[in-house]
Amino acid sequence: MRNSMLRKSKRTALALLALFLFAIIAVPGGLGQQAAAAAPQGTDALSAASGEAPAPLPGVKGTLIMGTSPDYPPYENIDAKSGGDIVGLDVDIAKAIADKLGYKLEISGMDFSGLIAALQTKRVDFVMSAMSVTDERKQSVDFSSSYYTARNTIVSRKNAPLTTAESLSGKTVGTQLGSTQDQYAQTLANVTLKKLNRVPDIIQELKSSRIDAAVVEDAVALDMTAANPDLVMNFLPAGNAEDGYAIAFPKGSSLVASFDAALREMKENGQLEAITKKWFEENGDQKEGKFLNLDFGIMKAYVPYMLKGVYVTLLFTLVSALFGFIWGTILSLFKLSGIKPLEWFATAYTSVFRGTPLLLQLILIYYSVPQLFQYKISALMAAGLAFGLNSAAYLSETIRGGIMAVDKGQREAAMALGISYPVMMFYIILPQAVKSILPALVNECVALIKESSLVSVIGVQDIMRRASVVQATEFHALEPLLFAGAIYYVLVLVLTSLARLLERRLRRSD
Amino acid sequence: MINVTELTKTYGKHQVLKGITTSVAQGEVVALIGPSGSGKSTFLRCLNLLERPTSGIITIGDVELTGKHVRIETVRQRIGMVFQHFHLFPHMTVMDNITFAQRKVKKLSMDAARDKAMALLERVGLADKADSYPSRLSGGQKQRVAIARSLAMEPDIMLFDEPTSALDPEMVKEVLAVIQGLASSGMTMLIVTHEMKFAREAADTIYFMDDGRLVEKSTPDQFFVRPQSERAARFLEQVL
Repeated sequence: MRNSMLRKSKRTALALLALFLFAIIAVPGGLGQQAAAAAPQGTDALSAASGEAPAPLPGVKGTLIMGTSPDYPPYENIDAKSGGDIVGLDVDIAKAIADKLGYKLEISGMDFSGLIAALQTKRVDFVMSAMSVTDERKQSVDFSSSYYTARNTIVSRKNAPLTTAESLSGKTVGTQLGSTQDQYAQTLANVTLKKLNRVPDIIQELKSSRIDAAVVEDAVALDMTAANPDLVMNFLPAGNAEDGYAIAFPKGSSLVASFDAALREMKENGQLEAITKKWFEENGDQKEGKFLNLDFGIMKAYVPYMLKGVYVTLLFTLVSALFGFIWGTILSLFKLSGIKPLEWFATAYTSVFRGTPLLLQLILIYYSVPQLFQYKISALMAAGLAFGLNSAAYLSETIRGGIMAVDKGQREAAMALGISYPVMMFYIILPQAVKSILPALVNECVALIKESSLVSVIGVQDIMRRASVVQATEFHALEPLLFAGAIYYVLVLVLTSLARLLERRLRRSD
Repeated sequence: MINVTELTKTYGKHQVLKGITTSVAQGEVVALIGPSGSGKSTFLRCLNLLERPTSGIITIGDVELTGKHVRIETVRQRIGMVFQHFHLFPHMTVMDNITFAQRKVKKLSMDAARDKAMALLERVGLADKADSYPSRLSGGQKQRVAIARSLAMEPDIMLFDEPTSALDPEMVKEVLAVIQGLASSGMTMLIVTHEMKFAREAADTIYFMDDGRLVEKSTPDQFFVRPQSERAARFLEQVL
């Protein structure tokens, strides 16, 4: 009776495995898409904002419609705290100009990439969206004179502030690789540059004093200092005004001249500078320093987002563990088969997969499968495959040891009963082998859970990847990492407790 | 039932069986005795091909075991084997140990296999242990379960490889009683044993083996009273 239960649970496990394999094969990228949709982006609020402005015909009724992409504070962003209005530096300037010229102002939020088209189809009268003047854009739209030039900014620690370009001499300075500021910083004399990939990395390097200062764009600096009260920002002298931000109009718009006049007037009477100052300084409302300088309050909004990563990580671990176990078992049987070609294959396989880095295997599979087999492999499937193949190499040795440790008499007793090799292996030898290597198998699963964080390099939205997304959005480097670490630790704790239960169950027969 | 012709077995350079020719009739009970290392166990294990003979012919019924294209699993179903160290499956209950091969090999239903197993457990006096794991049984109980497990396959022949050698003395009796009962039921059996008293009482024929050869083949009375060979006489002097 117990045996039939055993068989049933085995059958269920096989069915589950098949289901999972089917799921990842049938919906390549499905999971990634779902996860991407869950990422916190302004898109929902954005479409809502644009929905409420059904663009009347421009210019004639004394109302001007401004197009903007409200995702770039302090120039424009959605003020989530007070009803979702679009606010910012650009908005204030636009309001001032509209007042001067006697128009009412309406603001229409949309995606940045749709702004030029909105101008060309005259759905908006003008665009202010921290848009810089380029030759390419000039062919489609007209520009006002520039109203603001983004400035390079030094961000440094409050307790060791660096305020001028000269003060950077002899210091280590961080930049974002490939940014305009990176190019600028190379012109600074006597400065050691440390080029980093992401803004959160810069923040963390700064906080841990590995760099003395960072040179970034003012808007970025603002976010950094707003989120991290222990950092301060100082503007470097403005660059060439031609590179600045300007207001865009449909080609041939009659508004260009009057806007230019209004801008000139505002520059002269100091209004423009006042607005700029307001947005760049008022925004830096300094928070109280938190315990150990950490602020876990920011994580509150991201808990569901982070927890979705648990599902991805677990699914991934399950797929690769099952695949690795089954393939590893087959490899171990190859090694014990006494058939030379199979033995050679399994030995060479183990040697190659143990002898090269897992990260390399992962990236190779992800990029080579589409090129070699014309099959667009999903990130999750590539990861499951890479980890399964790799894990199988290690497990095949463990399982081989387990099989060899089973008393030879078990095999003879089974053979004497006329039991065939596969039945004997599956029901008599392997269950005993697995029992003796269970601790090693659990180790492998624990390793898989943790190693799974490598998949973030190919864009799978696992826990680790999500932590870096939160880092980038919140400009806090440490808190999301600590949170992710806690999740991993809890997962491993749960897994090891389950394993202990399983072990106790298997011990029944002792 | 069993015909063996010029059977040899060689491990590397060491020849363990040096040409054995004999035949066992249906229902015959054979006790194999002889000094250790004489090749008794190897001979027994050749009969169900747990050891591959180096040369010679073995025929079971009308199947030539040593011929080509023999489905060895099918032949082994007809030959039960009981080992010195029992080799019960430790991760299965007594019941599962006995029903497993019936279901996997003979494709019997669970119910049919259970009925059969219960009947056999009654016969070896262990009906109350059906749901125990082997680790809970004494050596004698384990060996009786192992016998029941073999019998469940309804073999034509039973091979016993020193079935009582690993047992504590007080448990030898219960196992021998079961084997003796089986012998009187008409089963064809070959038993490697050091229990001379048992061999004398239970066997129809005594095979005395020494140095890879079948030296003497006679009835118990003849063998134990008037052994024909000098080597057998010397052996009996040592053990009796």
